[in-house]
Amino acid sequence: MPRPASLDTLMRSLADPTRRAVFERIVQSREVSVGELADGSGVTQSAISQHLRSLKQAGLIADRSQGRHVFYRAQPKGLAPLVDWMGHYGVFWRERFVNLRTLLKEIDP
Amino acid sequence: MNDTTITSTTQEIVVDEVLPHAPETIWKTLTTGDLIGRWLMTPSGFEPVEGNRFTFQTTPAGEWDGTIHCRIVELVTNERLAYTWRGGHEGNAGYGSPLDTVVTWTLSRVAGGTRLRLVHSGFVALRNDSAYRSMGEGWKKVVHNVGDVAGEAR
Repeated sequence: MPRPASLDTLMRSLADPTRRAVFERIVQSREVSVGELADGSGVTQSAISQHLRSLKQAGLIADRSQGRHVFYRAQPKGLAPLVDWMGHYGVFWRERFVNLRTLLKEIDP
Repeated sequence: MNDTTITSTTQEIVVDEVLPHAPETIWKTLTTGDLIGRWLMTPSGFEPVEGNRFTFQTTPAGEWDGTIHCRIVELVTNERLAYTWRGGHEGNAGYGSPLDTVVTWTLSRVAGGTRLRLVHSGFVALRNDSAYRSMGEGWKKVVHNVGDVAGEAR
């Protein structure tokens, strides 16, 4: 199993507004080609390709070749470094307080 | 991004609520194995005495088996309970990364019930300030959009 990309690599990749827009576009589609990404974006195909390389290196996207075309899709696991412990437990404890209220109502109506 | 500074600080999560029950009743839910299992997670080896070691089984990640290791460091009946909360593995980033924290419960009697305060402290937060700044609003949008795919990440 490959080690997850470092938080640094991930942040650097997403810090670029154009690249972030490319990533958002990929997230919104199931699969998308470079041509489709470039269409009407005002960004050249070669610039898009560079952004795709960075996103792939950061573990945010995966690609699949079919004939002459390469299709890109989002990799949800790539975002794991951003779902950090604090975010996890922030949600976790709030949910547990709700459970606790319910339990208390049951045992001490 | 050459001017990027990464600093680390520790942070805590606080949840503070008034519950319409007596401290003695709430204390039971915090210190009885069966009851803990009904609202938090089922503990293994829990005994309400200082020094007691127990574990919780959570979702594994990478080389970490998902075990949370706890040890009771403070116990004042009906008032205060604190235990360490450790887990994770160096091979992980984000969820599943090394975790060395403390969970503290404080109960105080108030009009109409008990004020229950949870402090989960010791989170090491890496803060890449310039990256956070430049990500700004756009990042929130990404988070919104990835909502459905991110659900698969666990």
